[in-house]
Amino acid sequence: MKDDLFTMMGEMPAMSPELLARMREEANRNLLRMKHWSEMVMNPKEPEVGPTPRQLIYRTNKSSLWRYESRRTVRTPLLFVPNLGISRPYIFDLMPKGSFIEHMTQQGFDFFLVDWGVFGEEDNGLTVEDAVTKILPRLARKALEASGASEMSVLGYCMGAPLSASFVATHPEFPLKNYVDMAGPIDFAHVGLFGKWLAPEIFDVDKYVDTLGSIPAEMVKMGFKLLKPTMDLSTNLNLWWNLWNPDYVNGFNALNKWANEYLPFPGEFFRHWVKDFYQQNRLVKGELTMAGRRVDLREIHCPVLAVGAKEDNIAPPACVKPLIDIVSTRDKEYVELPGGHISLIAGRGASVHCWPKVASWLAARS
Amino acid sequence: MADNTSQQLLDMWKRQVEEGTQAWLKMMGQGAPGAAPPMDPQAFWRPFMDQGMAAWSKVMTQGSAPAPDLMAQWKQFLDQWIAAWSRVLEQAMGTDTFARMMGKQLEGFLNASGPAKKVAEQQIDASLAGLGIASRAQVVALARHLAQVEEKLDGLEDKIDRLLRGAGGTERA
Repeated sequence: MKDDLFTMMGEMPAMSPELLARMREEANRNLLRMKHWSEMVMNPKEPEVGPTPRQLIYRTNKSSLWRYESRRTVRTPLLFVPNLGISRPYIFDLMPKGSFIEHMTQQGFDFFLVDWGVFGEEDNGLTVEDAVTKILPRLARKALEASGASEMSVLGYCMGAPLSASFVATHPEFPLKNYVDMAGPIDFAHVGLFGKWLAPEIFDVDKYVDTLGSIPAEMVKMGFKLLKPTMDLSTNLNLWWNLWNPDYVNGFNALNKWANEYLPFPGEFFRHWVKDFYQQNRLVKGELTMAGRRVDLREIHCPVLAVGAKEDNIAPPACVKPLIDIVSTRDKEYVELPGGHISLIAGRGASVHCWPKVASWLAARS
Repeated sequence: MADNTSQQLLDMWKRQVEEGTQAWLKMMGQGAPGAAPPMDPQAFWRPFMDQGMAAWSKVMTQGSAPAPDLMAQWKQFLDQWIAAWSRVLEQAMGTDTFARMMGKQLEGFLNASGPAKKVAEQQIDASLAGLGIASRAQVVALARHLAQVEEKLDGLEDKIDRLLRGAGGTERA
C-alpha cells in the first residue's frame, strides 16, 4: 500500500501536470500551515523584538533616551519622538530587516529614541506641558551632548509630532537642523473618527479622568480596536493564508505582540491632550501656551518634511499636511505614501516607500 | 442540482446581508423619515457577491477537487467581504448617532463604576489598615513623592549645567 499522498495523486489520470504541481504545492502549504499553527498553539515562543544594539543615555522618572549603534557617517544626529502612552516604541525596531531604526542606522544616522516609558498612577499629574517643556528639552539636550554635534534633526511620529513640534516651536535656543512629521496630527479639525468620538458634546473628558484617574490600557485598546472593528478578522485571515511561510509567521508573532501591548495614559495628560488638541484644536490656531510661551508653529524655520499615509485612519493625511502651510521655511515638502498609520513606518511597504524617502530627505540636509 | 443548492445558499446569504445592513442603518437612525439619504447596501456587497458567484460556479464546474487558484479566489472574496463590512461599519460609526450612543454608554459606565470604585477602595484601604499594611493610595503617594524628588534633582542638574556652561564661557572670554 502506498503511503505517499503525492505519489497517489500523481497516478490520477484526469489531471494536467500543471494543476497537479499546484495541488502539490497547496497540499505542502496546508501541511506547513498545520505545523506552524500547532507550534503557535502548543509551544508559543516569545518573539524577540528590538534587535538593533543600543545604549541608555539618560533616564528621568519613567522616560529614557536611547542611542543606537551606527557608523555615524551622517553629521547631524536624529532625535526620534514617538507617541506617549498607547503603545511601546519597539515597533520602530521590530525585527531584523523589518526595522526603521535599523534602516536609519545602516544609513549612518546617529539615532536617538525617546522612550516615554510606562506611566503609573503616581504620574497622573503629568501634563502635556510637562512632556513638552520639561521631559523633551532635557532628553533633547542629553542627546545633543552625547552626540557632540552642534545641531540636531527631530522626527515626530504620531502624537510625537505635535509634542515635538510644540517643543521645537517653544525652544528657539534648541539648534534644530531639520524637522520631520511622520503621520502626526497637526490640524485636529480633520482627525477622523477619533475627532468625532472625542467631541466635547459627546465625550466628557473631565468626568472620565476624575472618575478613572488614569486611562487604563484596556480602555485605550478598546478605542483603537473600535476604530477598525474588522482588523482582527482580516489579520487572522491573512495569518491563515500565509501560515505556511515561516518568515510571515515570525513577523506576525512580533507584530502581534506589539499590537496587543497597549499602554495607559496619565490622567492629566489625557485631559489636556483631548481638550487642547482634539476638542479645541488649539495647536493649529496658535492658542496653546506652554511654560509661559505661546506655541507658534510659524517659529519653525528649518527644513520640514511632513509624511502622510494614504489609508491612515488615526492621523488622516488632511490633518498632517497643514504643518507645511504653517511653518516659516521655503524648504518644505509634503509626501503622501501608501499604507496606514502603522504600515507607514513598519513592515515591507514601509521599507520600500517611507524609510528610503525619510532617510534620503534627511541625509541631503544633514 | 449542486448549482441549484449553491444558488439557494447564496441567495439566502445575500438576503441576510441586505437585511442586516438595513437593520444596522435603522439602528443608526438613517432609515428614519426625514433623515439623510440612506446608504445603499447594494453598492458594497455587489462586487464581492459577483466574485463569490464566479468562484462558486467554478467549483461546481470543476467537480469535487478545488484547484489552488480557487483558494486564492476564495481568499480574495473573503478580503473583499471584510473590506466591504469595514466600509459599512466605518460609515455607520462616523454618524452622529453612533457617537452619541457611544458617549451615553461611556457615561453610563462612568456613573456605575465611579461609586463602585470608591466603595471598593475604601473597603480595601480599611482592610489593609487593619492589617497594618500600607494602602495603595499610600504607595502611590510615596512613588509620586519620589518622582517629585527626581524632578527636583533634574532641575538642579540643569541649573548646575547652565552655570558651568556660563562659567566656561566667561573663562574663555
